[in-house]
Amino acid sequence: MNPNLFSEPRQATAEYTAGRAAAARQRAFAEADAAALDGLISVRPRSAVPRPQTVWDDAEVLLHEPVGERYRRLVLASGTIAATAQAGQFLMVTVPPHGGDTILLPRPMAIHRRRPSITARPTTADRSATVATPGTIELIYGVVGRGTRALAAVPVGARLQVTGPLGRGFDFAPGTRSALLIGRGVGICGVMGAAEDAAALGIRATMVLSGQRPDQLLGRSDCAELGVRTIEVTDDDGSSDLTMLATRLRAEFDGATPETTPPDVVMVCGAGVLARLAAELGAHWGVPVQASLEAHMACGLGYCHGCAAPVQTDPSVEGPLVCADGPVFDAVLPIV
Amino acid sequence: MVALLDGTVFPDARAAFFAAGPDPLEAAGVPAVDLAVRIGTLTLRTPVMPASGCFGPELGALIPVAELGATVTKTVFGSARGGNPVHRLTEIPAGMVNSVGIPSRGPAGYLATLHPRYAALAAPTIISVGGHRTSEYAPVVAALGEHGDAYELNVSCPNLDRDGTDIGSDPAAIREVVAAVRLVTDKPIIVKVPVLVASIAACARAAEEAGADAVCVANSIPAMPLDAGTRRPILGNVIGGLSGPSIKPIVLRLVWLASRAVQIPVIACGGVGSVEDALDYFSVGASAVQVGTASFARPFAAVEVARGLRQRCLDAGVGSIRELLELEAAL
Repeated sequence: MNPNLFSEPRQATAEYTAGRAAAARQRAFAEADAAALDGLISVRPRSAVPRPQTVWDDAEVLLHEPVGERYRRLVLASGTIAATAQAGQFLMVTVPPHGGDTILLPRPMAIHRRRPSITARPTTADRSATVATPGTIELIYGVVGRGTRALAAVPVGARLQVTGPLGRGFDFAPGTRSALLIGRGVGICGVMGAAEDAAALGIRATMVLSGQRPDQLLGRSDCAELGVRTIEVTDDDGSSDLTMLATRLRAEFDGATPETTPPDVVMVCGAGVLARLAAELGAHWGVPVQASLEAHMACGLGYCHGCAAPVQTDPSVEGPLVCADGPVFDAVLPIV
Repeated sequence: MVALLDGTVFPDARAAFFAAGPDPLEAAGVPAVDLAVRIGTLTLRTPVMPASGCFGPELGALIPVAELGATVTKTVFGSARGGNPVHRLTEIPAGMVNSVGIPSRGPAGYLATLHPRYAALAAPTIISVGGHRTSEYAPVVAALGEHGDAYELNVSCPNLDRDGTDIGSDPAAIREVVAAVRLVTDKPIIVKVPVLVASIAACARAAEEAGADAVCVANSIPAMPLDAGTRRPILGNVIGGLSGPSIKPIVLRLVWLASRAVQIPVIACGGVGSVEDALDYFSVGASAVQVGTASFARPFAAVEVARGLRQRCLDAGVGSIRELLELEAAL
């Protein structure tokens, strides 16, 4: 380091010290989260179900509203994407300029809900008329930086350019009867598509909703609508603690009755440490685990190579990408 | 839903964009506007192409590639190499900074996996080639043989024989690279020079004198983004390359200087996202433009620029960009 000539150090203020300590905690948490993925993730075998054609669309904003203090809900009209998107796939959302600020890169966002279009039907003898509604996709995002602040300003009625559906999503193997879904924070949106599929396929699903505070938990009403049982855990009451959560889930699913036997698959999104916890549970129960990851991306399609997945590879070989090989990967505990 | 003329309803904006392309019959006959530009023996139907690293065959289904002058591949190196550690890219108010590290499968790997997908697209393929020594370029081009419709030499790579300085910052090194590649191919050679050079004119002249058919000016600008909260480097590689609209004035100057120094075409690359950007570059001497960072937010950006150029000429009642610029200059 270049020795420079600033004044002698003085005692820092309490606020300054507290601010630095908070930043350090956040960094430590991010590092622990990244470390939890070490050796855990591998690319899933090709699915028998082909991936839908990626398109781009100028989707009308039908609804854009706050969800609690941290998040915003965005409902977009896009018939093609709503009809074809698979569980766990994502979109690249292009953020329009806002207040003189140009947002250069699109933002990757999980597709929280898919609602295909309904065609208009006149009243018949046995059913009443339906009004035509466009296919919609619902996204939920946290306002965390320049891009999402600009996105938050987009009014209802405006059009947002989106590219999708993208990536390889969650996959229920034929014959799956039950599933444990685990989501944390905005990562709950990453697994909600799997809850939708479970409901449609008649798979008995339980979803862990994890977050900082009870009033910030996403997905409650969605799970209720889909008939998915929820287990709510928060940092507030300490129930989201990994050891406590693992003990609780083992108690729930270590039984012998049909409702308490282990799930056939575990699907997780929202934190590296939760992906590892899911892999531990999967190893204990002998069932596969699929984990959805997030990453900084530029193209979302695979050609920019910006989103290297945390997979150790030979340095002379380019590893898998979160966008094209994921975002859903297999999560298996490394053999030590 | 997007409705166009006669109530035609397209399922999505992509489908509408494809349908809004110029009439293929008009393009096949004598076009009202001639946008063609020659790079050596290669004629591009329009002076717009993607920038290396900002295009992939994945885009073939998202945009009408036939409306581009060419495609440009990610840089192919002599041996297979992985990319850099995460994070590989970030956005800052001044633009995007990336340190992807140019992963490559080498020429054999490229020909086996990626090239067939490029060859299937309806535009000539310009293969970007890189090296870490001046001697590394010609063998890659030789191995790629007839497969590239042109070769773009990415000389913005650190020269391992010269303390890691960019090969392209040294006119003598450019001369060596181009002369060696000229011996192994008859295909057009484009030299893509870096931003930080003592004399862009000297670099462009070196390329021209050694037998290059065009120079591409320029590349991303070396940069180092820090995290605002932790004041630590954001990128896994610590440093990266800045791109996007903010670098346009810097590259405009370079294109202007290079265009005055050489007779071969100058291809501008730096912050192009609109037809206005392209016309700015043409007005300082560029013959073609590359679209890079803008394509991430708008995959169709390059096609939009190409369509916009044609429309500008039609609106002005002129048949070429040269006439359009002369008309503008006379006003």
